[in-house]
Amino acid sequence: MTEEEAFRLAAPQPLPPRPLNIPEFVESKLDNGLQIVIVEDNRLPLVSFRLAFRTGDSADPSDLPGLTDMMTALLNEGTESRASLQIAEEVERLGAVLSAGANSDYTTIAASSLSLYQDQILELLADIALHPSFPENEIELTRENGKQMLIQQRAQANFLAGEKVAGVIYGQHPYATVSPTPASLDAMTRSTFADFHRASIVPNQAVMIVVGDVVRDTVIDRINRLFGQWQQRPPVAVNFPPAPVRTRRSAYVVDRPGSAQSNIVIANLGINRTNPDFFSMLVLNTILGSNASSRLFMNLREDKGYTYGAYSSLDARRVLGSFRATAEVRTAVTGDSLKEFFYELERIRDEDVSEKEILNAKSYLTGVFPLRLETQEGLVDQLVQIKMMDLPRDHLHIYRDRVNAVTVEDIRRVAQKYVTPDKAAVVVVGDAASVVDQITPYTSEIEVYDTEGQPKPNTVTA
Amino acid sequence: MSQKLEIPGISIEQFTLANGLRVVLAEDHAVPVVSVAVYYDVGSRNEKTGRTGFAHLFEHMMFQGSENVPKAAHFQYISNAGGTMNGTTSSERTNYYQTLPANQLPLALWLESDRMRSLKVTQENLDNQRQAVQEEKRLRYDNQPYVNGFLRLFEMSFKNPANAHSTIGSMEDLDAATVEDVREFFRVYYAPNNAVLTIAGDFDQEQTRTLVSRYFASIPNQPKPPAVDVSEPPEVAERQDVFYDKLAPVPAFALGWKVPPRRTPPFYALMLASHLLFEGESSRLYQKLVKGEESVVQIQGGIDERRGPSGLFIVVIPKPGNELATIRETIMQELHKLATEGPGEDEMEKLHNNLLNDGVRNRQSSLYRAQQLAEFALYDDQPELFNTELNNYLKVTGAEIKEAVAKYLDTDNRVLLDIVPAPDEAPAAATTLEPGEPEQPGSPAPQIPEPPPAEPELSVKQPATAASKLEPPLPAQSDGS
Repeated sequence: MTEEEAFRLAAPQPLPPRPLNIPEFVESKLDNGLQIVIVEDNRLPLVSFRLAFRTGDSADPSDLPGLTDMMTALLNEGTESRASLQIAEEVERLGAVLSAGANSDYTTIAASSLSLYQDQILELLADIALHPSFPENEIELTRENGKQMLIQQRAQANFLAGEKVAGVIYGQHPYATVSPTPASLDAMTRSTFADFHRASIVPNQAVMIVVGDVVRDTVIDRINRLFGQWQQRPPVAVNFPPAPVRTRRSAYVVDRPGSAQSNIVIANLGINRTNPDFFSMLVLNTILGSNASSRLFMNLREDKGYTYGAYSSLDARRVLGSFRATAEVRTAVTGDSLKEFFYELERIRDEDVSEKEILNAKSYLTGVFPLRLETQEGLVDQLVQIKMMDLPRDHLHIYRDRVNAVTVEDIRRVAQKYVTPDKAAVVVVGDAASVVDQITPYTSEIEVYDTEGQPKPNTVTA
Repeated sequence: MSQKLEIPGISIEQFTLANGLRVVLAEDHAVPVVSVAVYYDVGSRNEKTGRTGFAHLFEHMMFQGSENVPKAAHFQYISNAGGTMNGTTSSERTNYYQTLPANQLPLALWLESDRMRSLKVTQENLDNQRQAVQEEKRLRYDNQPYVNGFLRLFEMSFKNPANAHSTIGSMEDLDAATVEDVREFFRVYYAPNNAVLTIAGDFDQEQTRTLVSRYFASIPNQPKPPAVDVSEPPEVAERQDVFYDKLAPVPAFALGWKVPPRRTPPFYALMLASHLLFEGESSRLYQKLVKGEESVVQIQGGIDERRGPSGLFIVVIPKPGNELATIRETIMQELHKLATEGPGEDEMEKLHNNLLNDGVRNRQSSLYRAQQLAEFALYDDQPELFNTELNNYLKVTGAEIKEAVAKYLDTDNRVLLDIVPAPDEAPAAATTLEPGEPEQPGSPAPQIPEPPPAEPELSVKQPATAASKLEPPLPAQSDGS
């Protein structure tokens, strides 16, 4: 490097910041309670619709896990006026997308197209949302394929890890359920779906989000014509049993003989999305493990070379949440990886994070925020969050201020409250014969299961 | 037919520095965000025998420090500036990219230029990243059902080792890589005259030209790297094989065809044919097998797009109890039908609207724009194809689709791989393969794996398509970038 190139020695200063215009949305409501949220954006000839309902997998009856997922999967498999094939052909002939899905807290039906087809795609969305016919043959096919998918899932280590963690952390709470069972699939009939649809897909529990090249009054008028006759119903009452309170650390090994790696998840209950500690936990999670410059990645991958990636995650849902640390490591360093995980989990509890780390984490969170608003889909996702997770109306405006308000003391306080490695559930999916001895130094309580979830004798340390 | 739609073009400026670095600028001010991509003309196709997986291992080394940037500081600088970044490797190229708040453009240019001019290589860092890559291989390939089997398909398709071997490489070859290999690879391939720099998003053009010149102009060029021979005879290498997979819960099979290079008339036609055959719920094979016969649980396919001979493949997970041979026969009948009758008018309309919708929707993202521009600049020396390439697809006729399917797919010149669940006592799948080439070439591996969602509220399970209602076990078709 020549002397004239001294500018290379240090990172350059940023240019003057460029203003971010937070998109403004307008709201409206139909007489039946259906909320409408619209962002007019005519930069490109596109439109995105998302109809979201405040009912998700957690509303499944306890004897019918997977009902919401199955019901949503069947929405585009036939309506009172269209067969499954007809729906697929009409949608795809427009070059459009129409799909439905659910998570534990809510259900969405998404439709997007070129704006010149907005009337057609919105009409299709309305048809599958309001008039599904749940044809017997489609139920049978979805049921049979669903059973095959269950078999496929059990061959995947990350599914087994997620299933075990959810079960242990959430106990009797419906968040414990991550998939249907063969028995629940068998028990669902046409009237199960029709009744469940009638009870849970209701306008007074729903929001229609519209982003794109639309004219506000025209689209409201059109929504009113398509959805105005939809009958209100009292929302289904939910009464969830509490999640178990953990009092000590224990391990749950899912034995996958010959597994090429150990999938490790260390988990505790965390917070729900509207908890006042959310932003403190968000910054904590960024410092500890949300990305490739966080402590866990730097330690377990960049320093130790145990894994392709080590992370923590803040899973904050509507009523509960969990905090998890995860990595897939080679079998021989399962114990060494636990050592580093617990070192990092203890460290963030016992020591203040540095001013530099907290500044960097805030800079990351506030900086990536606008990246989410680049696309219609990204903006729709944000609006769905606001409406479905009970976030304040001005969430997009205050998000960065909330992040910036978090202090070193806040992080220490929430770390001690929610990061509790001495009470953690340690889930390891891997070759039990090779990993149980490696786990023993970190907890003597080890339960071993097979990939079907059945307990196995723990022969290794018996 | 579909209604007329004018897609607005994007602004594209290009220039070449004296050292040969090709630069493409696409300025727009919709959102205060900028994406910067650097593409090097080197991929797994350039790898030597005994060094499979090296281009990808090298990609990891590009994050291990340079003269003024310490090890892993690239991650730190970008994250701390509020950006995201990654790198991937395919058969064709190695790419590095970041998306940042617009005012952080100088940081990206500083980081990319420092590693282009002064990568630092140590034994310790090489050993560390070798381990990370080997864990990546275990995570994404060896510990997944069907994936290694699926990748075997490419070895069976291609006769030329440059095309046939995988991007991830073998454990043995990864073990053999030396610091000297890394230094030599850097000298030969990581020169400005073997690269393209693209910047898309919110920036000032004049200021950016000055910055680009400041950071990149003094990096010396190098002799042109040796040309790579990717030529192939038309016939596939091996028509039939069986892969024993310990992780597979049920039998599956894959079909593969060798097809012409990207940006050729038959390639355009085959891309559209593949859409009609297996994309979406109205596609012919989905309707025939998943719906009509109800013999198949999942069917996926794709095209591995290359500058040389490319690959088209179909992977099928049948419903237990169905004859695999019968399902294959049905697939071949459907191909024959398309090869003799051609697509219907309604199918042509579907293709047009899908092309338009995808064409417009994708370009919302500055990263997408930067990456596409970089490919057209690197492969074709014509970044302006970003605005015109869609027309090459839109003008394909039904007759051309029919002809291409007849010539390239409705033929015995294809690969058939049965993937059979291996009983525990059978030899493990990985050891039944020749060491050195067990995977697929076209599968770039991101430098950073997808982390679990930082804020789960932002990554709600997206409304799923029929094929992925319950987490599909099949590998993504090709480009992870």
